[in-house]
Amino acid sequence: MAMSKRRRAQMFRYLQYGILLLALVLLIVFANWGQIKRSFFNLDTAAAMFPDVIVVALLNTVIYTVLGFAFGLVLGLILALMKLSSVGPYRWLATIYIEFFRGVPALLVFIAFGFGVPLAFQVRFDIYSTVMLALGLVGAAYMAETIRAGIQAVPKGQVEAARSLGMSQGRAMITIVIPQAFRIILPPLTNELILLTKDSSLIYILGLIGTEYELTKYGRETLSRSPSLTPILIVGLCYLIITLPLGYLSRYLERRTGGRKVPSPEASGLEVSA
Amino acid sequence: MSGRPKYLTRPALAALAALVVVGSATACTESASAGGYVKDGALVTCTHLSYKPFQFTDDTGKVVGFDVDIVDLVAKELGRKQEIVDTPFEGITSGEDFNTGKCDLSAAGMTITDEREKVIRFSDPYFDASQALLVKKGSGIADLAALSGKEVGVQQDTTGEVYANDNKDKYGFTVRQFEDLPLLETAVRTGQISAAINDNGVLYDYVKAFPETEVTTEFDTGEQYGIGMKKDNAELANAVNKVLKEAKASKKYDEIYKKWFGKAPGESAN
Repeated sequence: MAMSKRRRAQMFRYLQYGILLLALVLLIVFANWGQIKRSFFNLDTAAAMFPDVIVVALLNTVIYTVLGFAFGLVLGLILALMKLSSVGPYRWLATIYIEFFRGVPALLVFIAFGFGVPLAFQVRFDIYSTVMLALGLVGAAYMAETIRAGIQAVPKGQVEAARSLGMSQGRAMITIVIPQAFRIILPPLTNELILLTKDSSLIYILGLIGTEYELTKYGRETLSRSPSLTPILIVGLCYLIITLPLGYLSRYLERRTGGRKVPSPEASGLEVSA
Repeated sequence: MSGRPKYLTRPALAALAALVVVGSATACTESASAGGYVKDGALVTCTHLSYKPFQFTDDTGKVVGFDVDIVDLVAKELGRKQEIVDTPFEGITSGEDFNTGKCDLSAAGMTITDEREKVIRFSDPYFDASQALLVKKGSGIADLAALSGKEVGVQQDTTGEVYANDNKDKYGFTVRQFEDLPLLETAVRTGQISAAINDNGVLYDYVKAFPETEVTTEFDTGEQYGIGMKKDNAELANAVNKVLKEAKASKKYDEIYKKWFGKAPGESAN
């Protein structure tokens, strides 16, 4: 039977809808709903988790993430500047640092900081310092590259204009380039914040007191005392409370900066960014 | 293009019909567990490493220990081969590992408690234990009273954790919880915590390897370890209990005990 190309395409489309519908029907029919409800939707367990899941776990997750992000941002900026420096050893040090901390799992970094460093150097940190350092060291490695690209994306005309106005290289960098760079990289930085939020789940390995629990640890603790996986679901939803708005913010910022991605094409002259 | 969309053409219907047949055929296959066991020919054990000398990896990377040897006796009786799965402790104590078909039984230096008995089935007790206090040598901490204002470490989900939490208000110390035993023990050495509370068997084993630590006291909690199974698995429980009984009567138990603890059960500790 000869079919026009259009008919064939249309049929193919309907076939795909058919497959999806079939998959959904099979899922509904063959899933063990009783077991799923028992395993994930135990309301008593869920109710018992409040308010601690918010005022302790969620709050701690936010605190740890913010601490790590702040430290990582500062360190990342330093690393980005080192990588852009004309001094060779600065560039090499920055490259070694970035490749190392991007290349090893964050969990290992946490263990090294929580146990290895105190053992080797006879020092001790409190939990918040350890988290800030460990999360920050890992975060800085990722953010350094983003910040560097952002700095390089600022139109060269900006620096030229600043210099012609009599500013030194350093002054131009601090007051003109870096602020603009940060406007450009706000979307990927927001993404980094989301990643750090999830990485904060790894700090359980350091050994926590009840008041220091973050979401994942809290969820696992509750899980060990309850007959269902509901705690995991609740904790997951709490993470989404943090990460979904951040994702939305990231996309909004991307639209506001005119969708300009890093790196952007070079602009000329005294163009002021929108 | 013709006026009416004919999406339910013969070829489309034929394809959908074929999919329904294939789909229901594959969806209907249920993995028939080999007579109640999760894996053919094997006895799958869930445990949580490392808990020396009950279960840990030796230099060759093989999992060995007191619990491993006990379960090997059971496996031999059943004509199956023991396979060991290392999983988080909370999956073992909550029984979820059995409900999800991960393993047939769990041997993890696990104390029999009412709380755990609600969700898993225990064998007869196979080991008597008590809690002990691990400190840095020379710290002078010999009882709970000396820990006032300090931090005490415990392992997640253990009876030691329960014991510490029961006593923390009375003696004024804070409880810091660690994921597993090696991290807990290391935290004593780094000084992150002043003391650790865990089962005597494993702590005595640790101080042998790390003489800068010592066990200063034991807390007689009268604990007993049991092997865990799915709540409704009476068949396996009977088999395990039979093996335990025979092992104790035939002195095989004492043999295994001496192998891992250096002395026969009942002899006084150091």
